[in-house]
Amino acid sequence: MRAWIARLAASIADQRDFLTQLDAAIGDADHGVNMDRGFSAVVRELPDDEELPGALLDRAGRVLIYQVGGAAGPLFGEMFRGAAESFARAHALDAEAWLGGLRSALDGVQRLGAAVEGDKTIVDALAPAVGAFERMVRSGKDLAAATAQARDAAERGMKATIPIQARKGRASYLGPRSVGHQDPGATSTYLLFEALDRTVREAGA
Amino acid sequence: MIRSVDRAARLLKALGSGTPRMGVTELAERLELPKATVYGLLRTLEQQELVQQDAETGKYRLGPALLQLGNSFLDGHELRARSLLWADSLASQVGEAVRVGVLHRPNVLIVHHVFRPDDSVQILEVGATIPWHACALGKAVAAFEGSACRAELLGGELVRLTGRTLIQAAALERELEEVAQAGVATEDQEAIVGEVEIAAPVFDHRGHPAGAIGVVGPVERVMPGEPAPAIVAAVRQVARGLSRDMGAGRVAVRGG
Repeated sequence: MRAWIARLAASIADQRDFLTQLDAAIGDADHGVNMDRGFSAVVRELPDDEELPGALLDRAGRVLIYQVGGAAGPLFGEMFRGAAESFARAHALDAEAWLGGLRSALDGVQRLGAAVEGDKTIVDALAPAVGAFERMVRSGKDLAAATAQARDAAERGMKATIPIQARKGRASYLGPRSVGHQDPGATSTYLLFEALDRTVREAGA
Repeated sequence: MIRSVDRAARLLKALGSGTPRMGVTELAERLELPKATVYGLLRTLEQQELVQQDAETGKYRLGPALLQLGNSFLDGHELRARSLLWADSLASQVGEAVRVGVLHRPNVLIVHHVFRPDDSVQILEVGATIPWHACALGKAVAAFEGSACRAELLGGELVRLTGRTLIQAAALERELEEVAQAGVATEDQEAIVGEVEIAAPVFDHRGHPAGAIGVVGPVERVMPGEPAPAIVAAVRQVARGLSRDMGAGRVAVRGG
């Protein structure tokens, strides 16, 4: 869990300018900077003596809400805190626990934002990734297979936001002008699954 | 109705629908018209600079005359024209963004937007439409509309934009009554997660709501727990001044 969060923070920092550039087309051009500030703070503020995944995720979620601001802060914060609740009830850090965590993360985001797939938001990457993860786990595949499929589904979902018109968030104020731009929130969500996939693969190797 | 004018208008709207450039065939399919007809419309609109043909691809896009028309619409808008100085002063007083909107049922059309004065990159929301029930501007106007208009608004489709958007007509009706009493409307992350708005109606010389002016910004600064009292007071004061500029009498300038 700790390795994944660290990798995700590094990935967000690496892609900061790209995320901001995406946001400049359809938002306030602050997504990359805000997410980087938030995840840097998460890494800095994760307690060293805490190993329970639920507690780590809850702490991360709170820091994100406080540090990221805008719409991304509450939405990514709720994603982490939703997952935290589910992990707190899990007994092991296995594929089942991750499935429960990811589903709660999606529930948290949708409760707050009321977005569905096709609205050009975080949900466009998150929902298919959770769906793919669930199908793999249900068919008896291991964690590495599930995270690989989830990563691919998130990537497809992220790219699918390009041609559609935003129906949620500030980008929706642009109406047709939001067409042709990739959603920054969906992109950050893909980075999250990409970091998870790499972390799981390295742990297994 | 004059058919060719209707067709030309539909053609312009199709070109403005997000696909930046379209060819004659694509437009003909979209509008379900013969290609020859679409071609004739395009050539006529091109002469008026309402559309332009791309020299390389031969495809069509909207023309420069439309920008002039759009600007003329904004320039001729009385509420917008009179709100410019008031909106600037409100934005600098509270340090947040200010928007002015009019009811364009069932949405609010943003006719003026002053950026948050902090040098950050922001997106111009002039021309944006927001469902009336999801923004404070819309609630501020709706609360002072006649009962027929209010009933129509409440009876229309109430889309959910966030988990906090009010979509029950009964709950919205109660809120409109409170707004009518208080003279000021609030919106708590009902359009965009993390963003809130405090707005007050602006009245014209007949005492009708001409639109609304409001402060929009992050929840932690504009509505930490409850609406920031200094912002509420500033919004009320500016809305009263703007209403007087619009010729509203003392009776109409409500909310004190």
